[in-house]
Amino acid sequence: MATDDLIIGIDLGTTNSLAGVMTPAGPVVVRDAAGSALIPSVIAFTPDGAVTVGAAAKAHAVENPLATVYSVKRLMGKGVQDLAEDLRVLPYAVVGSRQVALAEGQLDEIQRDLVWVRVNGRLMTPQELSAVILKEVKARAEAALGRAVTQAVITVPAYFDDAQRQATRDAGRIAGLEVKRIVNEPTAAVLAYGLDQRQDATVAVYDLGGGTFDLSVLKIAGGVCQVLSTHGDTHLGGDDLDRELMDLIAGEVRSRYGEHLEFTPATRQALRLFAEAAKIRISDHPTATVEVDLGEGRVFSRTIAREEFEALSAKWIDRTLEHCRLALGDAGKTPAQIDRVVMVGGCTRIPYVRRRVGELFGPAKVYTAVNPDEVVALGAAVQAGILMGLKRDLLLLDVTPLSLGIETLGGAMGKLILRNTTVPCQASEVFTTYVDGQTSVDIHVLQGERELAADCRSLGRFQLRGIPPMPAGGPRIRVGFLIDANGILNVSAREERSGREASVQITPSHGLTRQEVDAMVKESLAKARPDMVAHQLIDLRNEAGRILRAVEKALINVPQALSSEQRLLLDGAVAMLKTRLQQDDPDQIYAAMNLVNDAAMPLTQAQMDQVMKQTVVGKKLEDL
Amino acid sequence: MDKAKQQVVPAKCVHCSREMTQPVLCDSCASLNPLPAVTDHFALLGLPRRFELDEKLLHERYVALSRHSHPDFHANDDPEVRMLALQVSSSVNDAYRTLSDPVLRAGYLLGLLGGTSMAQEKSVPEGFLSSIMMLQEEFQDAKAAGDAKTLGDLGEVLRNQKEGFLRRVRTAFEQLDSASACEAARQDVLHEIRQLLNAVAYVRKMMTLM
Repeated sequence: MATDDLIIGIDLGTTNSLAGVMTPAGPVVVRDAAGSALIPSVIAFTPDGAVTVGAAAKAHAVENPLATVYSVKRLMGKGVQDLAEDLRVLPYAVVGSRQVALAEGQLDEIQRDLVWVRVNGRLMTPQELSAVILKEVKARAEAALGRAVTQAVITVPAYFDDAQRQATRDAGRIAGLEVKRIVNEPTAAVLAYGLDQRQDATVAVYDLGGGTFDLSVLKIAGGVCQVLSTHGDTHLGGDDLDRELMDLIAGEVRSRYGEHLEFTPATRQALRLFAEAAKIRISDHPTATVEVDLGEGRVFSRTIAREEFEALSAKWIDRTLEHCRLALGDAGKTPAQIDRVVMVGGCTRIPYVRRRVGELFGPAKVYTAVNPDEVVALGAAVQAGILMGLKRDLLLLDVTPLSLGIETLGGAMGKLILRNTTVPCQASEVFTTYVDGQTSVDIHVLQGERELAADCRSLGRFQLRGIPPMPAGGPRIRVGFLIDANGILNVSAREERSGREASVQITPSHGLTRQEVDAMVKESLAKARPDMVAHQLIDLRNEAGRILRAVEKALINVPQALSSEQRLLLDGAVAMLKTRLQQDDPDQIYAAMNLVNDAAMPLTQAQMDQVMKQTVVGKKLEDL
Repeated sequence: MDKAKQQVVPAKCVHCSREMTQPVLCDSCASLNPLPAVTDHFALLGLPRRFELDEKLLHERYVALSRHSHPDFHANDDPEVRMLALQVSSSVNDAYRTLSDPVLRAGYLLGLLGGTSMAQEKSVPEGFLSSIMMLQEEFQDAKAAGDAKTLGDLGEVLRNQKEGFLRRVRTAFEQLDSASACEAARQDVLHEIRQLLNAVAYVRKMMTLM
């Protein structure tokens, strides 16, 4: 397989991200030297412009709350109005494109509602921030696999709409990855799970992650994995449970030290991390204690009992169960008809969550054996394997989570594709003109289940251009709406009388245009080159050091293995490698390394022989 | 009637030039062929154009076609082949979705046979409206009283009604199959099917409201 053919699977999570890869023995997650697979989805910006991602960035959160960005996934494909609840708690600055444009006296001419994060005076889109995380995941995979990675499958919550999916795909492109497929997280979980589960079954996946919730109902039979329905909330997750704990403690702190006590961003960050830690501890212990240093010698300590945490969580878990009932209804199944419930996402470690899910479906059906943090990445790797042609026996049929339609006269939502339709799928609609000689028509495309266009999610305005001038009502413009296997919409248009393709100009409501993404890809690549070289140099220097030490040792152990010519050759190659290690050209170092390796071959062989002999000798001694 | 039953003429595979017994997927070289300009859901899935249908065979045909046309299996092909896979698999999905649901299947087949659409013909079978209005009143009363048992019973009544109408739809389609003589009688049957399907749509809507 050529290098270009490798596709990795990436779980781009609200709280943690990680990669998986398909091997002949099955899917495995990518781990660092310490054995850890999870990379916290946290980015820290230092004033000197350096960027760190992962555990190091998370550690940074308390000392530098304004420049530490987390939960970016919640912002993907959203407008400022959608985020009121998040803006209340996020310590870093989130601004709307319209606000910025107004402040600068120039309203965004296309009136898009985009979200930007402002750190150290720099504005960044959620797509660019997610790309920073994806780049880190990619770099770690490259280090672990020892090869370049250019293609990926990225997972998203099943209930993500078109804008959120497009934003995820754009983030991948900005990170220098060709995104071969966007896969739904619950479906990915079943792909990982399905590998050791050969018998036919109807399965529900309960996926409660850091910021999103999904329930999918699937039928697995004869190598076909068919999604029957999916329901969820892209704004409901472990973050909300943390927030309950934060609010509880903050309230008590205020009632003790005064209602007007202002929390510094650093205290708030500390509180959030403590709340998260307490949530995790309570899953295994009856109580957890949180201590907050409020400064001036004031330390607030509070012990939370598991029952108390469960009472705070109840309303959120109730909401997840409501989505379960809706998804079951759409699939035409009762809880009794579900053979197994696969629990995915870190929050499903919480005993209360398992208990409530067990009450709905039956406790014996709740399946928690899979590692809930890693199963999605494993499934993404399986999907990557399917796309690479390594697995032909598995057919995955997924659905679109939301109905797609257009705004009709009077502001109603005219549905063209119903939710839970198997993708890819398509529909078409004929439009005409209202004025003589009209050459363009506007269509407002929507996603959602509500009757009124205003209550649905606006995907964007599509302007059909290049319509031949005709009397009003003359043209017949057939517009095709195609939702591909990624759940992303593609629109095409043709004037039926003239047979001419009409061009479709798309203005996404909450997304980036193709030109903007291209510009970001370019900017990112210009920056990425030095980054990549630096990374490569570190790896090469480590490897070269290892080789030089091995040669030195071998020359002491088996000096007789080399003829004088061979020795001369080796000394020359070693000297060359040492010189080149002082310079910064990876290709030159690599070439010299190969020369040393070749010249040292007789040494390596002699050493191997010696080891063999010793082993044999050792055995004989034992036998005696 | 003969026209309606006509099978699609076998075409030749654009890749291996051998004759194909079904559209789109070549039986000899298993490669995808462009969608025929004129095709219908029955022909695409290689099934006879009839209301009565073997659900197991339908599913088998669907899976077999999907295994060759799904974009997952063409990720590394040329852009044209990928585009073709996208078109074929979305058509196959549409065909399966329509044919696997008896109500959608009936409406679709009615259209193929020259019947009217719901937009063109809104009438319902005689006596249906008064019975549905009575049910609606009972439903409202039970809902106001929070009478879960009556609500459950009403759901059962609606399900039975729907099944009853579908049985009559099936019988009507059988009548058409048995090649009845005159065109006027045929039109009558098509009209009856439309009315029955309209009634089913009413009942379905009421079921979702409950």
